Amino acid sequence: MKYICQICGYVYDEETEGVPFGELPDNWTCPMCKAPKNMFLPEDAEEEERKKPDMEIPELQDMERLPPGVLAALFSNLAKGAEKQYQSHQEKLFREIAAYYEAAVPEIPDADISLLMKIAERNISLYGEAMETARRDGDRGAMRALTWGGKIQKIITSILSQYEKEGESALENVDIWVCTICGFIYTGENPPAICPVCKVPSWKFSKVV
Amino acid sequence: MKRIAIRNLRLCTKDCLCLYVCPTGASDTEDSIIDTSKCIGCGSCSDACPSGAISLVPAEYPAQQRKSEKVMDVMEKLAASKASEEKIASMLSADESAPNLKRLLKALKQSARLSAEDIMREGGYMLPQSGNSLSLLSRLADEPSQGFPKEAAKELLSSIRCNDGGYEPPSAMYKCERCFTEFESSSGDKAVCPMCGAEGNHLKPI
Repeated sequence: MKYICQICGYVYDEETEGVPFGELPDNWTCPMCKAPKNMFLPEDAEEEERKKPDMEIPELQDMERLPPGVLAALFSNLAKGAEKQYQSHQEKLFREIAAYYEAAVPEIPDADISLLMKIAERNISLYGEAMETARRDGDRGAMRALTWGGKIQKIITSILSQYEKEGESALENVDIWVCTICGFIYTGENPPAICPVCKVPSWKFSKVV
Repeated sequence: MKRIAIRNLRLCTKDCLCLYVCPTGASDTEDSIIDTSKCIGCGSCSDACPSGAISLVPAEYPAQQRKSEKVMDVMEKLAASKASEEKIASMLSADESAPNLKRLLKALKQSARLSAEDIMREGGYMLPQSGNSLSLLSRLADEPSQGFPKEAAKELLSSIRCNDGGYEPPSAMYKCERCFTEFESSSGDKAVCPMCGAEGNHLKPI
């Protein structure tokens, strides 16, 4: 039986590895991307997972179409678009607008880790819903972004739940790295040789201090 | 199609063949960024570069892929939810005293922003010069919320030329003080008197 990592695609083949997947300890992680054991699905189930119909999505209430937080990201992305075209002055102006909107995001009442966890979990279903729409439209670009983001969202929830279980010791003596291209979060002494999600080389990772 | 050369500084090993082959000196700059106003797009530098550090890009970018309303809709909804994730992580990390959780929250904040940027990039706002981006910017600048950096928005709107017909800069009337001609000029273009060719201080907006 083969088990496949839903984050990086690593294949755990029970035949060659010699240890049945079920007998691996709970704290076993993907040798490639450090995803936890529950991110692996049996090879045939992986196909099923992909075909799963839309999940029930909780209604987002009073959601403005483009709230300040979205405008902040929209304009910091346009700043990157200007930067890539070597328009450094335009980049600076877009950053100024992005910073304005970032500061304008209202405080969220009752913000705590468990609310963060709930939103992260909701986002997994929002990614699923968006992916269905993008697939129906044949929008490859959107599918690309949603594939990356969906994987990252799963990693986020698993790191958060690990922290909820183990507290500070979950991240003791270990560095946290963020892929500056796709936002993948990796914990370890050194960043991976290539990002398991978007495949950029290790120097694109930045250490969180 | 006119092209211009760009240099990837990460790959550049300063073999400097581009300096030898460039007919206009565009690649010889103190900051290593190719001077796009001098570049004629001949491609000699990218052909000669032994490290593959120079590539040619179009001077005017093509229109970005059109997005359906439905895709834009779900992407905006998802981006809004990622933005909440970013905000909560940001608020919590500011007050957190446990060092490892603080680092984790900072990582989550960075990651959420990168994902939201990517979602909006694929949700119809990839290029600064697209009609979507420019008309949004112009709407925000027309009815600015308090403290909105209006000057920055105006400067962007007048310096970026739309590449897909989705945004028309408003036109303005000028009077030429040299020949007294009154004329209309699109605010995206530099105003020039159609009668006598006067520019700059000779023209007064009316």
